[in-house]
Amino acid sequence: MSSPQSSVLVVDDEPALRKALRTSLIASGFAVEEARDGEEALLSARRHSFDLVLLDINMPGINGIDACRRMRGLSPHAGIIMVTVRDFEDDKVRALEAGADDYVTKPFKLRELTARLRAVLRRTRVDGAVQLSVLHAGKLKIDLDRRLLWRSDEEVHLSPTEFDLLAFMMKNVGAPLTHVKLLRTIWGPEYGGELEYLRSYVRMLRRKIEDDPARPEYIQTEPWVGYRFRNPSDPDSPPADEED
Amino acid sequence: MPISGRRSFAKRIAIGSFAVALLTLLCYRAHIDFSSVIPLYTLLVVLQSLTGDFKSSAIISVLSAGCMDFFFTEPLFSWRIAHPMNALALVAFIVTALVITSLVSRVRKEATSVTLQKDRLDRLYQLSQQLLALDPEETHGEKFLEPFQRFFGVTAISLFDADTAELHSLGNSQCNLAERTREAYLRGVDLNGIDSPAQVRCLRVRGRVTGAIGFEGLEDGSETSGSLAALTTTFVERTHAFRKASVAAADTQTAVYRSALLDALAHEFKTPLATILAAAGGLREAGPLAMEQQEMADTVENEAARLGSLTSRLLRTARLDSEEIRPRIELIDLTSLIAHIAGQHSARSEERRIVVTYPREALDVQADPALLRLTLNQLIENACKYSKPGSTVTVEIEPQTDAVVVKVSNNGSSIPSDERSRIFERFYRGADAKRSTSGSGLGLFVARKIALAHGGALDLEARDRPNDSVTFCLKLPNTKDEAQYVLTAK
Repeated sequence: MSSPQSSVLVVDDEPALRKALRTSLIASGFAVEEARDGEEALLSARRHSFDLVLLDINMPGINGIDACRRMRGLSPHAGIIMVTVRDFEDDKVRALEAGADDYVTKPFKLRELTARLRAVLRRTRVDGAVQLSVLHAGKLKIDLDRRLLWRSDEEVHLSPTEFDLLAFMMKNVGAPLTHVKLLRTIWGPEYGGELEYLRSYVRMLRRKIEDDPARPEYIQTEPWVGYRFRNPSDPDSPPADEED
Repeated sequence: MPISGRRSFAKRIAIGSFAVALLTLLCYRAHIDFSSVIPLYTLLVVLQSLTGDFKSSAIISVLSAGCMDFFFTEPLFSWRIAHPMNALALVAFIVTALVITSLVSRVRKEATSVTLQKDRLDRLYQLSQQLLALDPEETHGEKFLEPFQRFFGVTAISLFDADTAELHSLGNSQCNLAERTREAYLRGVDLNGIDSPAQVRCLRVRGRVTGAIGFEGLEDGSETSGSLAALTTTFVERTHAFRKASVAAADTQTAVYRSALLDALAHEFKTPLATILAAAGGLREAGPLAMEQQEMADTVENEAARLGSLTSRLLRTARLDSEEIRPRIELIDLTSLIAHIAGQHSARSEERRIVVTYPREALDVQADPALLRLTLNQLIENACKYSKPGSTVTVEIEPQTDAVVVKVSNNGSSIPSDERSRIFERFYRGADAKRSTSGSGLGLFVARKIALAHGGALDLEARDRPNDSVTFCLKLPNTKDEAQYVLTAK
């Protein structure tokens, strides 16, 4: 259960969906406000501050991406989750670039949504708090200061780039990380299109940290977007993407 | 010489002879001497040759020479010639007359030929104007042939179009023109019977015979038929091009509509599904539910989620259909991926058994995980869908030297031989498929497109195994070099 103070602004032009989400999210312990479109959402955000914003990407009037960008300007600390309907286009990447923290694709199960909401909430609250120098995820333990990694208490040797990549992913556990973001952070701002670099490093990392590299537990592929580091022992971490 | 020609020849001789007699009478009465009559006779011969042919003019020349000899040279009223100079003059007259006659008739013949050619060109021009005015869709059949008959007065005409294998005829043929036309096409040679009134020409485009056209009763057949055949070839080709363009345009249009429709449907479905899922999830969260209520809420949620993923897949397939596929290659453990997908399908279709034959070692392939999963799902789902309940679907993974082959077979569903080549066509659905199961007709088309985009292939196994089984072979190249992939499959 999330704390009763967590407020969610649900922005969608479909009244039936807003109503169902409102009822269900209240039942799941959130305080819910509704907005019909981007304009109304921005008005609400000016009046109140919300912990979370659930923003539909396809809306009449100002589109979801623009609304997201302006929302980010208004409330820098709100967790913004975009609701997309297409899963083969660059909508997700554009949403993340516009400042969204995560996305869900319609139709989604309520549990999946609440897990995402809670994970984003936790990440946005951790932001600004003291950064730990030792992080844990499943069987993995990473020491950011000493640049060491253990898997089931056994040290795993990583190259400097592999370490930087894994450390960045583990620091952003649960968050979707676009290819471009990873390349620019690890390799430098002049990078962005060299997907093969990233893929080969992810492949090597998976061989070192995953039990079964073909069915990864930690480094999840987000189709057409990038990667997401998952902590298997976190109950709110989304399950591996199972496409039918 | 035809009868009409013979008559006009006789007429020309008669008129010429009358003119010679009249001139002789007038000159004789006027006592004009031999040296003065020569130019007068020469004038007459020239005049005669302007209207008549060489033969009649030559006869009139000889007749004139005879008259001069008989009436104007010494001794008079005798064929004898006393002075050699007179004989020489007569010979000179005959030679001059014949040369003039020959020249004049040659000039006249050429003039006639030019007139004829101009006339033929005029008619060809009018004919092509008329044909151009026709709707390209009507450039076949009687409507197309009728102008030929009107402008060239042929008694019968036949056209064989190899593209449609249609034979069109107009008019009454005395010599079975239609059959001759078809025969000319089949033999690929023109038929220009000298003793026959029919002229048949093959229609040739870049050396290829595309049909034949036959004429009966065509004036100057051997010369005109070539031009007419060339004209026909142009127009028939125009019709073919038009027909192909219309079919292609219709295909594109259909594909665009269909893609747009699928897209819209998928979008329109997803919001209500999201509402159902949110409501079903909320029901569970809202209050303590009895066991059965809980189960029903779960069923609603699971089925709506399944409908959602089916919709997503449909949308994804429609997109892959209309766009170029660019695989994002990764190293994938093929064996566990197949085990996973087979497990999912086994759970879903309880009435069919899915047996997977694995290789001894785990097999990695370089492929786009999302696309490969879509393809394998499609093949295994098809195998389940088109087999009898209780039957077995087998999946074999065969490592080869340069490729990995995945064979998906079922039994109880044969594919008729005429459909085998067509099942990979977009929107094609077999007769049985249309009757028994639902589908978009895109699945196999897109699956093959994905295979090709990976530098691989997807085919139906050449010969069905026994018991009416059908086997699809997915071949993925076994290369470590990612740069070798062909990224364009469209």
